[in-house]
This record gives sequence, structure tokens and C-alpha cells, in this order.
Amino acid sequence: MSSMSPHAGSQLVDLCAVLLLLTCFAIVAQRRLSACVDLFALQSLFLAATAALVAFLTGIHHIYIAAALTILIKVFVIPRILKKVIERLNVSRELVMNVNIPAGLLICGALVIIAFFITQPIIPLGYLLTRDSLAIALAIVLIGFFTMIARKKAVTQMVGFLVMENGLFLGATAAAYGMPLIVELGVFFDVLVAGLIVGIYTHRLQDAFDSVDTSTLTVLKE
Amino acid sequence: MLPIIVLLVGPFIAGLLSLVIGCSRLLHVVNFSTMLALVGADTALTTRILSHGPIIALGDLVYIDALSAFILLIITTIGLSCSLYMWSYMDEQVARGIIAPKRLSVFFFLFHMFLLAMVAATIANSLGVQWVALEGTTLATTFLIAFVRRRESLEAGWKYLILCSVGIALALFGIVLTYYSSVRVLGDVSAALNITSLIGVADRLDPHVLKLAFIFILVGYGTKVGLVPMHTWLPEAYSEAPAPVAAMLAGVLETVAVYAIVRSKILVDQALPPEFSANLLMLFGFISFAVAAFFMLIQHNYKRLFAYSSIEHMGLVMIGFGIGGVAGTFGALFHLLNHALAKALAFFTAGNIHRRFNTVEIDGVKGLAKAQPVTAVALVVAGCALVGLPPFSPFFSELLIVLSVATQDFASDTIHAGRFITVTISDEVRSLGTVSLLMLFALIAFGGFMYRIGAMVWGEAPEGSIQPERWTPGYVSLIAMIVALIGLGFALPGPLKLLLNQAVKVVLAR
Repeated sequence: MSSMSPHAGSQLVDLCAVLLLLTCFAIVAQRRLSACVDLFALQSLFLAATAALVAFLTGIHHIYIAAALTILIKVFVIPRILKKVIERLNVSRELVMNVNIPAGLLICGALVIIAFFITQPIIPLGYLLTRDSLAIALAIVLIGFFTMIARKKAVTQMVGFLVMENGLFLGATAAAYGMPLIVELGVFFDVLVAGLIVGIYTHRLQDAFDSVDTSTLTVLKE
Repeated sequence: MLPIIVLLVGPFIAGLLSLVIGCSRLLHVVNFSTMLALVGADTALTTRILSHGPIIALGDLVYIDALSAFILLIITTIGLSCSLYMWSYMDEQVARGIIAPKRLSVFFFLFHMFLLAMVAATIANSLGVQWVALEGTTLATTFLIAFVRRRESLEAGWKYLILCSVGIALALFGIVLTYYSSVRVLGDVSAALNITSLIGVADRLDPHVLKLAFIFILVGYGTKVGLVPMHTWLPEAYSEAPAPVAAMLAGVLETVAVYAIVRSKILVDQALPPEFSANLLMLFGFISFAVAAFFMLIQHNYKRLFAYSSIEHMGLVMIGFGIGGVAGTFGALFHLLNHALAKALAFFTAGNIHRRFNTVEIDGVKGLAKAQPVTAVALVVAGCALVGLPPFSPFFSELLIVLSVATQDFASDTIHAGRFITVTISDEVRSLGTVSLLMLFALIAFGGFMYRIGAMVWGEAPEGSIQPERWTPGYVSLIAMIVALIGLGFALPGPLKLLLNQAVKVVLAR
């Protein structure tokens, strides 16, 4: 247990959570694929910092393991896979989106408000240290969801999914000081495999469609 | 103890073995014997549960009660018939050069991982582990769907991966919320997500959190079940996947996803008034049932037709679980089994037809009765069963569900589906309205379905499509399933009835 007052600790955790949310907005505003991946890596780094901070303040050690795994898998391995995929592609920017950037940012702002609204009744139940982050976590999940809808490239859709996953992880840390260890390990495993699968898919899509733009996926119609 | 190890280690070892085996005959032998072992293990477990009650094993990791044993029964029996069917199907695909011989190993590896993930999701004690396993099923099957590397298949596989991953990520948020509420009561213990410990404290969990959690879980796992409006991946995935894979997806994976929803429902019903989950399940169920019925009218592709029929049946199952009571729950559980049998049979015949006629268009298939008599009989049986005609078993489970809707004592304004669509005042009239609407949609589905199947079975067979059907192991599973569909319609074997009754008790938490 640390000697820091719970209030200061809570402020620090909130600060980290807000940084996570800010990177979300940066991802939504970014056209370059590789920059999106970098931003995701940065967000994961903030996530690991949040988790480590919570672990330090509460003295619950298994959160350290989760933080370390976050750094290994979400800061290094998955961004690396995605970067490799992007290198092979013939495009580095996303020119046409389903929703343009200013509108996208506005929608994300609205999503944040919705997230705070939904979690309002349940926040007082949480631990003092982290309970405010739950709303931010839901906001990140929703923004990730929105990114998957708004973007067309397979890589950015995957980044959207990973952002959702980060939000979920923050939610678990905030709400309950992390899920049981076995669940967390399982989730990391699933995320890692999903990253690998997307890597393989983009190769195959590129070969078959000459593009990883998922809007070319229109062979199947009603 | 041993049966549980067989259940978990069997598919894992079989999967690894498949990777190193090159000979196709050996691959099939490994596959078939694994499935036999799984059926054996499930039988042993079921016998024990029926006499001694639920099993907790491997530390607290595994929990099997009558409900999970029943789901395991569906997984293993459909898996067994699937392995027989694959014996002929996969070999022919290889012989025709559609699948490279080397890739057969990969196919079986993925297939066994898929199986393992489903078994794990069914017997997991922790809701978190269950989530991990369900996401595992998505990851294992996406390449099975895209196994024939056509553009359409890749597209279907990609859509499936993205939509299901997103859906299931929402479900994880629901599980995080469940954990949030249970940690308050149980303290920060790793058992706070275990079914065994949650059930004991369910009435003390915070209702607000659980409400939110259930909505996320229903939408999340509902994506996997294929409930409207989260169903858009489903027709594509089912029509592009190789026939045995489609049979497993439609018959088994949907069942497992329904099981995951039911597990949460059991929990939520103890903390909240039961109308809450009932309303949501009925609403999604009714919409799925109605929308799928109309989509079935406009399908030109028989695999898509079967896919929409899956959505329809899952809607009906949701209505059954929503209406609750002994009759509704019994009907819903029994319908899961019947649907799995009928749908797997339908996709097996679809595979046979596709191989002979080389088209998935209904208009391209004529005179099946002459071209492939056995398949034609199987198709007619599957079709009649799926539209709910007697004497096939789905008729009886559908009847139970509809009857329970009709006789349900509606306490107050509890039925959203009824309120949405029928403008009536008295409860009796409203339930009558719901029932007549259900029957109307069932009739629409009936018309669409039988018309298409009739068009395929009769008529003049095109030149060259009439060749004698070669006797292959695949026919064994076709015939076994026809027999099961008719047999279950006449009599439920004693142990199965006992198992169903006990599973109903688990769902109703009595």
C-alpha cells in the first residue's frame, strides 16, 4: 500500500484514463494508417500505466502481470503485425471514409456524453479510487465501435476493435481492479490470435480483391 | 474426472495430430474416433449428473449441470454425424481439386479447435472463461468459413470475424459489469465470476448494474446467435462455408451462444423481476422470427434459405425462454436439439446438392427426386421438420412454445412484442393476438420454404445430373438424423426426458 492519499491517487488514475480517451479522439482524426497504429500503441502504453498505477496504489499484484502483458502484446507485438501488413499494402492513407473527420469527432463527443449518462446510476457503487474511469471506459468502447463503422480499411477496423478491447480492459481495471487472472490471460490470448488472423486476412483480401478496402467487399448481396 | 479430461484434451490432441498427419483416411479415423470418445464422455457425465447432481471439477474451473450436459449432448451428437458426413464430403472436395490435399490437415486442426472452444464454453464455470472460449469459436471458424478461397468466401469470413468480434466485445463489457456487481458482494476473489458462487448471492447483486450487464450480454451473444438486427453476417457465412462447417455453425454454435445467454438470464432473474429478461428475450425473439420469415420468401439460394430459417428458429427459442414457465423452457430446450438435428440434416443435403448440381441457386436445381433419391428424401424430411410439420420432432417443441405463449398468464403489460404489434386491451386477447401473429409468420415461412423445396425436388432433372448415388459414410448420418427426427417426434427416451426436465429446473432455478 502506498502512503499517497486516496484522493491524489484517484486524480492520477483519472488523468491516465483521460489520456486514453484523448488518444481515441486522435485516432478518429487520423487518416494515415501507420499513425493510427502508432496512436493505438501509445494508448496501450497509457493503459499499461493506468493498470500499473492501480496495482501500485492498491497493492494487488496480479494487475502488474496484466500491465506487463499489455505492454508486450498491445504496445509491441500487435502494432508490429499491423505495421508489417501496412507495408505490404498499396495505400497508406484513408481517403474516403463513411463519416468525415469533423463529423466523426462530433459523434465521438456525443458518445462520451452518452457513456457518462449510462454509467451515472452505477458509478457510486465502485471503488473510490477508480470509479470515475468506468464512464471513460465505456466511452472508449463506444468510440472504438464507431471507428469500426466509420472506417473502411481492414487495418483501421482492426484498430477500432483493439481500441474497444482497451476500453474493456480499462473498464475491468476501473470497476473491479481487474478481472480474475485466468480471464485476463484468456482475453490477451484471444486478442493476440485475432491480431494474427487479421494479418493473414489482409494478405488474402489483398490478393483476392487487390485492395484491403472493405467497401469493395460487395460480392454478397441480398 | 476422466470424462472431463477426455472432453477437453481429446479435441486438442486430435487437432495437433491432424497437423502432422498427411493421409486423409487417417485424418478421418482420428476425427471420427475423437467424436466417438466425446460422445462416450458426455454419456458418462450425463449418467452421473442424473444420479448425483452437478459436477465441479479441476479446481473450480469446470461446472457441469443438467443444462450444460444437455448442450454437450447436442455438440457431441451433431459433431459425430458431422464427422461421418465429412468422410465423404471432404474427400470428394479434394478429389475435385477444390481443396488442396495438404490443406485438409489445417481444416481438421481448425475444426477440432472449434470443437474444443465450444466444449470449453459449455463446461466453463467462470463467465469470463466462457467468454474467452466463445471468442475462440469465432477465431477458429473464420478461416473455416473462408476455407475455399473464393472472393465471396473471404468476404463472408471477414464480415463474420468483424461483426462477431465486435458483438462479443460488447458482451465482455456486460461480463465486466457482472463482475463489478459481484465483487461488491463476494470480495475480490477469483471466484467472483463463477456460476457456482454467483448463483448463491444473485439476489444480493445490484439490480441496476445487472440490468445494464444483461443488455450488453444479450446484444453481444445475440450477434453470435444471429438475432435480428445483428444477423447480417449469418446468411453469408452459412452459404459460403463448406457444408459440414455450416451444419456445425447452424446446429451447434448457435446453440452454445443461446446457452451463454440463458446462463446470464438465470442469474439476472434472481436479482430482478423476471419480466425484465423475459421482455428483452421476447422482443428480440419476436423480431427475429418475423423478419426471418419474410426474408425466407425472397431467397434464391438454398443455403441462404436455410440460414434465414436458423434465424427464425432461434427467434422462436428466445420466445420460449422469454415466456418461461416449465412448458416454455422445456419447449425451448427441446427445440434447440430438434433444430440442431434438422438444420444439420438440411446443410448436409445442401452439400450433396451443391456437389451434384454445382450451383447454390434454387432455380438451378430440378428433379432431385430422380438425380439423388436419398438426398431428396432427406431434404423433404429436413424441410418438413424445419417448417414444423408433424410427425417430426420440431413440431412438438414448436407446439409447446406456442401453447405456452397462448396460456401464459400475462400479469400486466409485460409482453413487449404483444404491445408493439397488437393494439388490444385484455390480456387474453393480447396473448391470442401474439399467438395468431406467431402462427401467421410461421405460415409465411412455411409457404416460402415448402415452395422452394418442392421446386428443387420435383421436375425434370438436367442432363448429366442423374448418376447413381455412391454409398458413402455420409449417408449413415443422413439416415440416422432422419430416424432421430421422426423418433423424437413419437417418444422421448427416458434418460433424455429426465435430462431435459432437470435442465428446465436449472433454467428456472428451482
